[in-house]
Amino acid sequence: MALLIEARDLTKKYGAHVALDRANLKVEAGRIVGLIGPNGAGKTSALRAILGLTHYEGHLTVLGREPFRQRTELMNECCFIADVAVLPSWLRVDQAIDFVAGVHPRFRRDRASAFLAKTQITGKRRMRELSKGMKTQVHLALTMAIDAKLLVLDEPTLGLDILARRAFYDALVNDYMDETRTILITTHQVEEVENLLTDIIFIDKGRIVLDSSLEDVATRFTAVAVMADRLDAARAEKPFYERHILGKVVLYFENADPGKLEGFGEIHTPSVSDLFVAKLSGGAA
Amino acid sequence: MNNSNWLIRREFWENRAIWMIPAVFGGLLLLAALFTQVSIPRLTSPQESEQAAAFFWVVVGGMFYLVMGVYSTWYLLDCLYTDRKDRSILFWKSLPVSDVATVLCKLLVGMVIIPLVYFAAANVTALIAAFILSIRARASIGSSLWNGDVWGQVQVLWMYVIVTSVVWYLPIAGWLMLVSALAKRAVMLWAVLPPLLLYFLERVFFGTHTVGELISRRLAGLPLVSFKGLGSHYGWTHDGGVVDNAGSPAPSVWHLINPSGFFTSAETWIGVAIGIALIVAAIQLRMRRSEI
Repeated sequence: MALLIEARDLTKKYGAHVALDRANLKVEAGRIVGLIGPNGAGKTSALRAILGLTHYEGHLTVLGREPFRQRTELMNECCFIADVAVLPSWLRVDQAIDFVAGVHPRFRRDRASAFLAKTQITGKRRMRELSKGMKTQVHLALTMAIDAKLLVLDEPTLGLDILARRAFYDALVNDYMDETRTILITTHQVEEVENLLTDIIFIDKGRIVLDSSLEDVATRFTAVAVMADRLDAARAEKPFYERHILGKVVLYFENADPGKLEGFGEIHTPSVSDLFVAKLSGGAA
Repeated sequence: MNNSNWLIRREFWENRAIWMIPAVFGGLLLLAALFTQVSIPRLTSPQESEQAAAFFWVVVGGMFYLVMGVYSTWYLLDCLYTDRKDRSILFWKSLPVSDVATVLCKLLVGMVIIPLVYFAAANVTALIAAFILSIRARASIGSSLWNGDVWGQVQVLWMYVIVTSVVWYLPIAGWLMLVSALAKRAVMLWAVLPPLLLYFLERVFFGTHTVGELISRRLAGLPLVSFKGLGSHYGWTHDGGVVDNAGSPAPSVWHLINPSGFFTSAETWIGVAIGIALIVAAIQLRMRRSEI
């Protein structure tokens, strides 16, 4: 598989604060990757570096290019939606389409128009007159009409209500995604995207904590709802996290022998959100 | 280069004031020409007519030039700041448009295109105002405000002023754009305070005024470098009277402008060098700073 994004020892400092600390990550073509971390973990810094918006240390290639030096070329094949609010308030919908059509060689106007035709949004409206959900639709229409290899979404549904969020992700999966495309999403709301993703990257305090496909997650991680009398024996197998819930104790194991765990209780694969909490809650219980 | 076309168009979409302010200002001048009292002394000689025409065209253009200076300053100070403030820079940067092209197009709009818009507006306004005044004061001045030769000379004059202004004020524009790309808030204060601080520090610690003199020379010194013999020729600008030195012919613009002096002056080119350095710095900042 071709590597779309490859970062080695990616470091970003703001004065004394280290936002990214020698982070390593790889993104393959055709995947939907979630870059997941708590607020302030370095997600945005990583994205800014990948998109060429900021200077960084270390090695980074995106679509075979150095993002900071070659942002303009990179943006021919990569697009991003930073946040729903970034279309300027004075811009009219038709001006936005004209402008992108004018400067982007891979923009297909008919696709954007077709997408917008399904909405209530007309060309003469200014962004300041549109609701957040409508602005997101405009931005999506612009982005999805670009024939890009990589789409980067940074907290794309921040501030949207549940209907608009659902519509956003449905449009993304149904109208946009295919095997030639790759999507990188950052979010701190894991539940919202976990059914969408093929890969997850956990980031915490500027370091990559986990970088794995979801298939690997299923074989690598095991959660066991341990029966009370087997707790000590189960703890001896070195779980990396322990969760007490409704009188039950759930232990999380990494690379454990499934045979050994079977007798302790009910076994299941942890969800991405559970794994996220388990991984980031700070080592073994 | 195709992109620059769209970048310039975008500036017009965003800053409708580029054409609205000169339109409104021109409208107000025309209202004044229509309804205020005109008391123009009777013009008796061809020289007087010519001087009146020259005075009229230069004054109308001068008023537009002043408004344009204020607006352009504001535009340059704002142009790399607003989209960082409302975060729309993240949208613009998601498109394959280089920061170099973005900054240079904004510079072009602020320094060349806005002046040309005002130049056109001044011409249209003056033309209509001349027509109105000629009718209202036909007894005293008739059609003498329209003088093809004077009009042609005024066009040369303002084109020359625009070209020399671009060159002369490049360091000012560079400074404004640098502040615009740098400041997190209060661009106006950031533009004014550092030079002011330098001025006071120099005064307090060295007792000299070099910084202040350099800055005021840059702000006000353009006519001294780009024209020659202004004082002796332009008698009629002193007290606002039209026919101050009646009888003497109006000076030809070709005798007033001093392009060879201007373009060979070290002062001009030192300013250009500083201006380029500041603009390069603004581009570097634009590449690195995306949000406030």
